Amino acid sequence: MKKFLIGAVISALGFSLVTVGAAPANAAGSTGQSCAQEGLVRKLSGVTYTCERTNGSLKWGEGRKLSGSLTVVCGATEAWCGAMTSAFEKRTGVKTSFVRLSSGETTARLEAFKSNPEFGVWHGGPVDGFGVARIKGLIDSYASPSRNMIPKNYKDSDGYWTGVYVGALGFCSNTEVLKKLGVSVPTSWASLLNSKLKGQISTAHPATSGTAFTSLWTNVTRLGQTAALAYHADLHKNVLYYTKSGVGPVAIAGRGEVAVGLVFSHDCVFGAEQGYPLKVSFPSEGTGYEIGGVALIKGAKNPDAAKAYVDFTLSTEAQNLGVGVGAYQILTNPYARKDSRMVKLAKLKIVDYDFDKAATSKTALTAKFDADIINRSQVKG
Amino acid sequence: MALKKHGAKFDIFTKIAIVAVVAIISLLIVVPVLSILFESTKPSGTNVFKSVLSNPVIRGTIKNTVWLGISVGFFGTLIGFILAYIQVRVEFRGKKVLHILTLVPLVSPPFAFATAVIVLFGRSGIISHDLLGKTPMLYGYPGLVIVLSASYFPVAYLNLVGMMRSLDPAIDEAASSLGASKFRIFRTVTLPLLIPGITSSFLLLFVEAIADLANPLVIGGDYMVLSSRAYIAINGEYDVSAGAAYSALLLLPALLVFIVQRYWSQKKSVVSVTGKPSGQIAPIKTRAAKIPLLAFGWSVAAFIVMIYVAVILGAFIKILGVNNSFTLDHYRYIFSGIANSALKSTVIMASIATPLAGFMGMVMAWLIIRKLKRGADALDFFGMLGIAVPGTVLGIGYAVTFNEPLKIAGHTVIPQLAGGGAILGGAIAIMMVYTIRSSPAGQRSGIAALQQIDPSLDEASASLGASGGRTFRKVSLPLIKGAFLTGLMFAFARSMTTLSPVLFIATPETPILTQKILAESDSGRYGPAFALCTLLIVIVLVVMGIITAAVRGRGSSEFKTTIVAG
Repeated sequence: MKKFLIGAVISALGFSLVTVGAAPANAAGSTGQSCAQEGLVRKLSGVTYTCERTNGSLKWGEGRKLSGSLTVVCGATEAWCGAMTSAFEKRTGVKTSFVRLSSGETTARLEAFKSNPEFGVWHGGPVDGFGVARIKGLIDSYASPSRNMIPKNYKDSDGYWTGVYVGALGFCSNTEVLKKLGVSVPTSWASLLNSKLKGQISTAHPATSGTAFTSLWTNVTRLGQTAALAYHADLHKNVLYYTKSGVGPVAIAGRGEVAVGLVFSHDCVFGAEQGYPLKVSFPSEGTGYEIGGVALIKGAKNPDAAKAYVDFTLSTEAQNLGVGVGAYQILTNPYARKDSRMVKLAKLKIVDYDFDKAATSKTALTAKFDADIINRSQVKG
Repeated sequence: MALKKHGAKFDIFTKIAIVAVVAIISLLIVVPVLSILFESTKPSGTNVFKSVLSNPVIRGTIKNTVWLGISVGFFGTLIGFILAYIQVRVEFRGKKVLHILTLVPLVSPPFAFATAVIVLFGRSGIISHDLLGKTPMLYGYPGLVIVLSASYFPVAYLNLVGMMRSLDPAIDEAASSLGASKFRIFRTVTLPLLIPGITSSFLLLFVEAIADLANPLVIGGDYMVLSSRAYIAINGEYDVSAGAAYSALLLLPALLVFIVQRYWSQKKSVVSVTGKPSGQIAPIKTRAAKIPLLAFGWSVAAFIVMIYVAVILGAFIKILGVNNSFTLDHYRYIFSGIANSALKSTVIMASIATPLAGFMGMVMAWLIIRKLKRGADALDFFGMLGIAVPGTVLGIGYAVTFNEPLKIAGHTVIPQLAGGGAILGGAIAIMMVYTIRSSPAGQRSGIAALQQIDPSLDEASASLGASGGRTFRKVSLPLIKGAFLTGLMFAFARSMTTLSPVLFIATPETPILTQKILAESDSGRYGPAFALCTLLIVIVLVVMGIITAAVRGRGSSEFKTTIVAG
């Protein structure tokens, strides 16, 4: 842990040295000067520049004078959101704060304050939710110069959202509880239906949590909607209760309240590092994955700062911050540092996850989930 | 109200006070509640209403809510009754200690109980599993009843202790001299006399239980109640109208119970006020009665102690029950960002709202007891709405009402007060909630104190030529200062620990401590949640200590009446 923290700090320092090194001696007219690494952000006499690729060569883009404040609505862990926003504040001088909300809550808040947005940027959380926000007209397209280096399959073709990290859905098992129950570590969706696991599975509610929606959509992709809802109705018998936020099941499984949590594998890896007896496994039938996105909020109060923040999140500097605060997602910036604790997607069987379709189906599907599964059980109980 | 009131004509101060109080109550509680009713008549809201009859799911939710209210009302009142009985009728050592321990849950943050109960008595709880080898299923109805009864029974206890003390021992003596046994006296004399108090406690707890949002979110599991349903409608399904409709459904039983409870408590004053106690209550000495009673009382106390030990220790231990090594990480974590600003803004807002609430309560009490003839009951009723309306309903009402500027004929009358982009970061709306939630406690204690003071003092002041304002300042206020200060104490504790109404209007600029505790508990980070709870408890205790020190020496009788009223 410590080692990586130091590593992150050193690499951040290294990059800032590169940044300073690339800067011309006289601050005036930084635009157009060559720079070392696409996506870098730096500040000179109150003006912020982003390193862009134009006609094949790397140059400092047009400077933006940044000031004021920015509020980010953040879908990742508190620690990660904190590291990102404070690094940006240090870099640009924009007073940056964040609020951690789950996907559903974010969309609800954005919609409630549509005429007078309280946030400038949405950062982190599965892009299925970003798709819903796009349909509802809550986010704006922004052609960040730093988008160029992000692989095509990790960004929206119309520029509404861009991926900042990728995570694979997995099972997070408490090995001690499983041993007591006499159940082996689950390696398939089917094995979660084991009657010995009654009340031993924790997952979030797909209406509030992007994580839980990813697992629902994974099963829709794998089985078709009707069969997927039937599967979740069966799974419901084994679910203890639905949390609001997607990472909740890690600690619930960790403390041994349940045997298995349905979460993104990187959250489970972090949980195991905290001392919980947790083990990650993946379903053999195929698993889903998330692209954690970043997007500009429509009508953002301080658009220049908001845009600069989006640029910043795509930079290696920002993406390298994750590992230091226990976020082991795969990073979308190809130059960002890899870590052995990140899952290797190539080794997993991944379902063909259609993010656009997921977004358009999300509202109706979660309503159906609520009506058919959660509510039906209420009638029984 | 049998008390004589001062002259029919109001002077200017009284008039201003009446207008101000009516305006404040309208703005702070009447308008938000009406907005909810209005919002719920939109299509997705009326859908909810329509399906009450046709949809078994919504009927189930309503049934759950009512059943939870009844259960908590029953168990909470029972525990409160037994502890009150022990306190008044049994002689034993450590009476004061038991009294204080019984009151402790009043100042606890909403999740302290739920999270600690899971850690101690959950499936892999330290006591249930590690010690006893059991894996109880707490999530849902059983957990909710345990946690809510434990959190709210002190309300019943305070109510009943006051009543039992005022019972005339002569009745007991009469029964005893006619040859009735202690148990027979209890069954046929004491209990019937206490029925109004028991009923009113039951109803108070019923309302507290159905209004609670924090516990259903943390330990409710799949046991859906109206408050958590409204929360999911607004925060998961983005449907404000449906949320408003669910909260309107919640409002109905709450108001009904409040009205019934008022009726009972007014009856109570006829039954139980039999003049000064005319002798000594003979304490219970039979071992057969004393031992089980005390065993029960101390078990409840032990339970409370365990909960608080778990909270305080849990804040210093890596993962309580899993990895029991000492750490300061949780504090480091909360102070690295999430606590600092929340701590500051919550304390500032509570400190501003508390005196406002206290002052408003006192003015209300003064108007009701001394000034108004007609309309006094109505004013008292509307003033108490702040606690009668469930927090969830209030919060949604504020979000609906104050998220946009109020415009009349194109002119902004009231700027946007709640939500992001509001003036002062939405802090005004939050302080308004704190004030209206806390002023009823001040109002009750003010009324209790004023009723004990002869109105001729006011009359004397007036006949010497003092204006209404001067009389209030120089005569009434100094006499009820003690009540005022204790009212403040509870107002502050209430503001600091309130969650459900502010959850819907908290903004990034004004983070709230209890909201942060919810976020940590829901993400399963109990260590930081416990650290935040401990911090909150310490702040509340320090402030209460300061106020108590200020009150001490002013006569503890006032102190007692306010506690009962609060």
